[in-house]
Amino acid sequence: MLKIVDVCTRVEGHGKVKIYLDNKNEEITQATFEIEAYRGFEHILKHKKLCDLPKIISRICGLCHASQSIASCKTIENIYGIEPSEQSILVRKLLMTGELIKSHSLHFFFQAFPDLLRIFNIHQKILSPYAIIKNYPQLTTIFFELIKIGNEIDKIFGGRSVHPITVIPGGVIYNPSKKNITLARKYFQKVLMNLEVVIERFIELFSKKIPPEEFMIPNPIFLGMHNHGIFDRYSGILGFKEDNKKITNFIEKNYTNYFNKDIDLNGIDFSIGNNILVGPLARNHIVESYDIEEVSNFLSVFDKTWYKNILFTNFIRLLEMYVETFKALELLNDPLVNKNESLLSLTNIKNMDGIGVVEAPRGILLHHYHLNKENSIDQIKLFIATEINIPLINHMITNYAQKLYEKTDIDTIKKEIQLIIRAFDPCISCATH
Amino acid sequence: MKPKILISSLTGCSGCISTLLSLDIFPQFLERTKIIYFPFIMDVEEIEECDIALIEGCVSEDSQVNLLKKIRKQTKKVYSIGTCAGFGGILSLSKKRIAEPVSKYIEIDGVIPGCPPPSKLLGNCLIKLIENREIDVDIPKKNLCATCPLRGEAEENFQTKITQINPNPEEIIPVEEDTECFLKRGILCLGPITRDGCEHVCIKEGLPCEGCMGPVSKSFFSNTINFISLIHLSKKIRNYDGIFYRFSKPTFKR
Repeated sequence: MLKIVDVCTRVEGHGKVKIYLDNKNEEITQATFEIEAYRGFEHILKHKKLCDLPKIISRICGLCHASQSIASCKTIENIYGIEPSEQSILVRKLLMTGELIKSHSLHFFFQAFPDLLRIFNIHQKILSPYAIIKNYPQLTTIFFELIKIGNEIDKIFGGRSVHPITVIPGGVIYNPSKKNITLARKYFQKVLMNLEVVIERFIELFSKKIPPEEFMIPNPIFLGMHNHGIFDRYSGILGFKEDNKKITNFIEKNYTNYFNKDIDLNGIDFSIGNNILVGPLARNHIVESYDIEEVSNFLSVFDKTWYKNILFTNFIRLLEMYVETFKALELLNDPLVNKNESLLSLTNIKNMDGIGVVEAPRGILLHHYHLNKENSIDQIKLFIATEINIPLINHMITNYAQKLYEKTDIDTIKKEIQLIIRAFDPCISCATH
Repeated sequence: MKPKILISSLTGCSGCISTLLSLDIFPQFLERTKIIYFPFIMDVEEIEECDIALIEGCVSEDSQVNLLKKIRKQTKKVYSIGTCAGFGGILSLSKKRIAEPVSKYIEIDGVIPGCPPPSKLLGNCLIKLIENREIDVDIPKKNLCATCPLRGEAEENFQTKITQINPNPEEIIPVEEDTECFLKRGILCLGPITRDGCEHVCIKEGLPCEGCMGPVSKSFFSNTINFISLIHLSKKIRNYDGIFYRFSKPTFKR
């Protein structure tokens, strides 16, 4: 059996593709996306003080840092049986919006856009950012600004742009001044203006094209958060949805009915048949509405064939930024955003198990901490979006590689299948926590 | 001639890279240099000759040592970006994984510290580097206390017993003129053994320093011992793992 290995480029972190051939080299038996260098955060975090957890956990990922700390805080709040104040929730949501803008923009501009241009035969030779800058100067300016603003928003609400310090178990220790609210408002308004241009440009470039079949997702189960059917990455509940079926609730505390893990082994074990998809496209299938009229109009431009194509995730990323920015402007107008509320003290432990869930930019994060009799954490399990998507990624790249092998060589294949991997926007840092 | 740049990530969180990509000066940086290797944003896989290499992340695998040696051979100047590459970083907490700074395996020309490096510091350093000027952040002369807003009257002998490593949530208050030093309030702050340069962001929010900027001197181990001998740590804190070496791995020998 021959194994071909290639290092993935234009993804966050270190990943490899491996292609396995049968003994006669006549057929590809399997293609896999593999992540290595597990760091062992689930071991590091054992017996750490609860208050230290969000700060250490944020270091799992420099892109999803806010989602990681917030998921951790929600888990600890579950252990203490407390609910943070509304002011805290508003600030957390604003912080998550900044993170989403930066993360989605970085992926779209540097990692996905060159692929889209190639897949749809618009530009074949986009090999470095210099080529995008030269050919798409307006989009370049816009995306550099979006990335910078996402970073600044997180600096305002998180105290630092990466690895926030304001988010703590029980709430947030930040109360935005009038000046910072005005500044954030200006930033968000700028983001909306920029996104309108980008979304129109995306529609103009791609909406009339037919997305290639190889990028269709084969009957996955979509898993994502919604708040009474509305898009919400912080306060919703999780739901499962299979094609054309009604949504069923995912009961967080019973997550082991669907998947589980052994922290000494890498990866997640699934106990349901179909592959699960999490992330922007899954959220799109789970939510009934984004609650913003313009968004329905943007979506209606695309033919239904796009809806189950992984390449559509790129458009949904732009829409999610638009939706959250729109909502962030409403949150900033809420008088509660700078209401003085004292923080909850962490005194009485109510539950020996805590579970906390948020939707990070790339999909759900589920944290589960267990305390022993001495109230010390003796078990931690972190379920992370990219890990959940891996079986689906492998299924799709195997099919694509097998199909390609009928007409092309293995060197081309190892590059081609990376187009699928990148469309998922894997976060390898998170997955190798 | 524009300087040729190589940017490589070892084991880490990509937070330093994401900070670099969101810098005000990043478009200018792209314009004034020629990036020849940066897998996060481009498809090049071969390491060629270049002028400046920026390395993020700690060393935790053998293959990374080979990569580093290759980079050193091909590059005029190599810099560690961030606390992982500079001092080992957060994985120093791990008992199972190796987390070593880049300088353990190859000679480096400097460290731009922080978890991640503050934007202003990183931006200023990058501009200096492309103008072929020296960056001096690598020689930390001051600890965080030297310019601390809570400094008040300088004191070296702390009589208060240190019983907390995190202030209770309800006690966290943003700094005001008369706010007392954490160590005097019985809360552990690593300011005395941590280098300057973060603009005291945590302290200003009412949180003590955890040392993410890295050690103030190369002899971090002895510095830490000195510090511990000057303060009175409660037994509970003494028995708690991972306070002093949360971001920097102790080194006994260089």
